[in-house]
This record gives sequence, C-alpha cells and structure tokens, in this order.
Amino acid sequence: MIKIKNIKKTYTKASVSTPVLRGISLSIQRGEYVAIMGTSGTGKSTLMNILGCLDKPTNGQLELDGVDVHGLDDDALSALRNKKIGFVFQQFFLLERTTALDNVLLPLIYAEKYPVDAVKRAKKTLVSVGLEDRMEYLASELSGGEQQRVAIARALINDPDVILADEPTGNLDSKSTNEVLEIFSRLNQEGRTIVVVTHDRAVAEHAQRILELKDGQIINSVANSKLKNSSDH
Amino acid sequence: MTRIVRITRESVRMMAGNRLRVFIMMLGVAVGVASLTMMICVSKGAYKEVMDIVNRQGPALLQVRPGTDRHTGLPSGSRAVVSLAEEDVNAILQHVGNIHAAAPVKDRKGIEVKHGDKFTLTRIFGIIPEWSEIRDFGPSKGEFISEEDISFAARVCLIGQTVKKNLFGDTEPIGQTIRIKDVPFTVKGELKQKGVSSAGRDRDDRIVIPITTYFKRLFKDIHLSQIVITVEDTSSMDKTVEDVRAVIRERHKIAVGEPDDFAMRTPQDLIDLAYAASRSLINLLTGIAGISLLVAGIMITNIMLASVSARRNEIGIRRAIGARKNDILSQFMMECIFISLMGGILGTILGFGGSIILSSLKVAASKVTPTALLASIVSCSLIAVVFGIFPAKKAANQSPTNALRA
Ligand SMILES: Nc1ncnc2c1ncn2[C@@H]1O[C@H](COP(=O)(O)OP(=O)(O)O)[C@@H](O)[C@H]1O
Ligand SMILES: [Mg+2]
Repeated sequence: MIKIKNIKKTYTKASVSTPVLRGISLSIQRGEYVAIMGTSGTGKSTLMNILGCLDKPTNGQLELDGVDVHGLDDDALSALRNKKIGFVFQQFFLLERTTALDNVLLPLIYAEKYPVDAVKRAKKTLVSVGLEDRMEYLASELSGGEQQRVAIARALINDPDVILADEPTGNLDSKSTNEVLEIFSRLNQEGRTIVVVTHDRAVAEHAQRILELKDGQIINSVANSKLKNSSDH
Repeated sequence: MTRIVRITRESVRMMAGNRLRVFIMMLGVAVGVASLTMMICVSKGAYKEVMDIVNRQGPALLQVRPGTDRHTGLPSGSRAVVSLAEEDVNAILQHVGNIHAAAPVKDRKGIEVKHGDKFTLTRIFGIIPEWSEIRDFGPSKGEFISEEDISFAARVCLIGQTVKKNLFGDTEPIGQTIRIKDVPFTVKGELKQKGVSSAGRDRDDRIVIPITTYFKRLFKDIHLSQIVITVEDTSSMDKTVEDVRAVIRERHKIAVGEPDDFAMRTPQDLIDLAYAASRSLINLLTGIAGISLLVAGIMITNIMLASVSARRNEIGIRRAIGARKNDILSQFMMECIFISLMGGILGTILGFGGSIILSSLKVAASKVTPTALLASIVSCSLIAVVFGIFPAKKAANQSPTNALRA
C-alpha cells in the first residue's frame, strides 16, 4: 500500500541545514494499523506530511498503491490526496462557522465528480462516528472530541485507501481519546489502513505494529504484543 | 454540480460567515463606484444641456452685443456701453460673405403692460421680420410682424405664452388691444412656447413689436441691444466671426490694438460657457472617483491579505483534502469579484441617487445613464481582478504544510 525507500528530509533556513529525516524506509500493507512513535521534534509530522503528499522529501522514493509519487505535479498530488488519503490532525482543522455536515462534505467539493448522494453519504458517515444528533451544529459549537470525530468523518467521506492521523488525540481528554481510538480500531477491523503518529505509548499500543522514530531514523519496528489487552477498556 | 459551481458556492458560504469584512470591502468599492457614477451622470447631464442649448439656438447663430460681456455669461449686453447701431447691420450685410440673415434687436425688460384690469411686467423686443427665422421664434397663432408693420411703425405685437397667461388667462388674445406703457397695441399673434433658457430666463415672458414702433412710440433707444446673425455655412463660422469683427471695428473706428467695444458669441462659445459651469464639478468628481477607486482597490488588497493570513488553516486543510492551487485561487478571486460587484451595484444605486439629488438641488444638470452602469461594472470587475489577484495568488501558493502549522 505505502512503500518508502531511503526518505531524507533536510530543512534549510538561513543557510543552516537541519536534517530531520535521515533515510527512512518502510512499507505498510493494506489493512494494517501502524503507529509511528517518537518524542516531540523527532520528525514524526514531517514523515507524516511526506506520506500524505503534503510535502516533498529532499531525497528518496514514495510509492502509493503502486504509483511512484515523484513524477506527479501539484494538481495530480491534490487529486491523489483527495481520493486516496484521509487526514486527521491534532488541531482538527474544521471550518469553524460551518456545520458538521458541511465540514464532512468539504472533500467532495474537490472530488472529480460530485456524487448525487453526497449529503446522504456525509450523514451516514457522521452516524458511523456517533454524531447523528450533531450534524447541523457549527464546528465551533462542538466539544473537542466531537470535533475530532467530525474530522474523522471528513477523512472517511471519500473512502480513502489510508487514514493518516497526526497526534489525533493530542488535544483530547481521556474519554474522547478512547472514543477516537475505538473508532480507529473499528475502522481497521473493517479493513481500513491506518497510520497514527503519536508520542504517547498508550495510544500507539492500539496499533498492530509500532515503529519507533529517533534521530531521523526508525530504530525499532515491532508487532504489538499487547494488542489483545488494549481492547479491554 | 461542476467543480467551479461547487467552489463558487464555497466562496459565497465563506463570505456569509464573515459579513463585517465583506461589508467593509463592499463599502470601499461602493464609495468609489458612486463617485464614478455621479461623475458620468453629471458629464452626461452637462453634455445634454449643452446640446439642448446649441439645438435651441441653432448651430448657425452668431450674436453681437454691445460692450465686452463675452465671458461674463450675462444673458444680455450691458446697457452702460452703447455701440451697436442699425448701420452696423447694414455694413455686415453689405461687406461680409457667408451671411444668411442679420437683424437688429432692441429690448428692455420690466415694462408695464395692461389689458383691462390685468397687469404684468415683461420684456419688450423691437425686431424686424427676419428675427423670427434667425431665432426660430415664429408665431404659434396669428401673424408675425410684417415689412408693412415696420414701414408704418404699426402698433401691433405678438405676445409670449407667459404674457398671454398673465393678461388673458383663457380668453383669446388675437385682435385684442393691450397697453404697453399706456400706448395701445393690437395683438396680431402669439409666439411659440420656448420654455426656460440656459440662463434660467423665461423665454415666453416677452412681447415683440416692430423695431420702428419701438423707437417711435416707446423708447428713444438709438443703439441696439444686439445683432443676431445666421451664417450660411457653419463650418466657416470662425472666418465669418473675424469678418464681422473687422467690419464693425472699422465702422466704430477702433484703432489697431484697442479692444472691441462689442462682443460676439458663437454656438461654440455657448458650449464652452455651458461646460465651464459643470467642468469644475466634473473634475472634482473625476478626482474623487479616481482616488476612491484606488483606495478601494488598496483596501481590497490589504483586507484580503489579512484574510489570507487569518485563514491559513482553512487554506491548509482545503489543500490537504484535495483542493488544487487553482481551486484556492478561484475561491479567493470569486470572493473579490462578488464583493466588488455587490459594492459596484450599491455604489451605482448611491451614485444615481446622488446625481438625482445634485440635479434636483440644481447643483448640476445630471442624467441617469446606462453608460454609468456599464462603467461601474467594468471598473469594479477590473478592481477585483487587479487588486485581488495578488492576495489570491498568495493564498493559492501557500505550502500546505506551512498553512497547517498551528
Ligand atoms: N518547515 C520547517 N522548516 C524548518 N524546520 C522545520 C520545519 N518543519 C519542522 N521543522 C523542524 O523539524 C523537526 C521535526 O519537526 P516535526 O516533524 O514537526 O516533529 P514532531 O512532529 O515529531 O514533533 C523540528 O526540529 C522542527 O523544528
Ligand atoms: Mg508533530
């Protein structure tokens, strides 16, 4: 599904070069649930942005669903993000003065074709994240947990190949965190590929596989042995 | 729903969510477009007024008045200077080519006229038959002054419509006798209705009588209050003016280098005069329109730039979920165009209102014209594009990762 090879990313500011990613290779299979762990500032978001085609690596190759992303122009990358990737961010990034429903509909605006059943689909997706009675609320009227669930619904509306979540629970209390993680687990059980970036081991332990990022490299990649326990709560 | 329709809806939705910003930008454009509209309406009004004057007087009319009042815009020659005489008319007819007709005119205003127990003060014109054609001022009823009337200094007159109303009301004036300064005159006709002159004078408040009668029976005015001339060929008006000037100067024995003791007025002078009245207002409005449209444009750029910064996250998330650079550009351009057009419509309404007020307050003649609407739409679209493109491009070219940094 996702294959990267020797990805490097160096930020250059005022002629000072900071290498953040120093050659990362990994591959994620369809249907996998992967967590990328690491302390703050290790380059998790940088890696995530590269995986999501929001940013370009300084070096290295990225293959999504068998397509080498390197040759694609900006418009093609936009179309690819629209169709194949669902983003979930720590800060939700909802349009504030916009209803939950319209927020979920947003990716369809930029879809190749606007589906005739768009609203029905958006409502169904909102129901699936437990927001059936919040559809007409403005984003600014929702709690953090509710906002993040709207963001997940927005990520799901175009039926993406992969969900990329960057610290999705970073701004949430423990109850909302659990709600979000349960949704991810359920989505994964339904066959959805999920990549979660986090500094929080408790969050990472919901994934099937945990990659540890340090000093710009993956130092550890383990199948999650505690997975059975984590579904207790 | 096509992509551009979706993006347009999105653009409108975003504007609806920020009405204050939209309103401020709109107001800026509205002020600029309103002054532009007023400028055009006032120009149009001035043009129409000038053309009315020229059409009323005819493009072939040349007026000579005593004194040097050419640039004062006074409706009639100053009586303090006495210079023109009937011999001047004869000399012009004899020595100047391209003359169709020429006529001497004497007139006095504020003369008391009675009929029965009715009384009015009006202007008395002493004229010859040619005057009627030269000034296009014939009878609407009855007969005009004839050569016999001139020869016999007949006590006959034609009355203007205002005089008719004042002295006769609804009764028939022709054949009746009126007393001008207690001299009885027979009314032999009514003059055509002419309305108000460019100088604001009621042109129907007058009585015309034979110039000979004027002199023998009423006033011992030897000098003329004006000479009216029509030329054959209006394209050589300028040469004719110089020829007439030369003839009169010679007759008046004016030495080289001395100023004329008379003044001439051509249709072009009337045009200049009429424009002069509106010109300063038009210049002022043009200046205001230019400056305020520029200010509106700069305002759009600034407010849009601020908006682009404030909406960084919005731009970032749109890009992340699949908006192309062009989609973002379209969205922001559309905002500018909508706001600008709404401001333009508001400004056009305000401008039309303003110009109606200007003309009803008699500050300036102004005419509501579709040209103004067209100019408004063109100028506000232009403003939207010229001043919106920079912020819109800035929005479109933001890197998604930067735009998503909290
Ligand atoms: N656009 C950028 N320009 C320069 N430096 C950056 C940029 N983005 C991130 N960095 C730097 O790269 C490092 C990794 O950042 P990030 O990927 O956000 O880490 P994490 O998400 O793991 O906290 C940090 O030191 C950060 O300051
Ligand atoms: Mg991060």
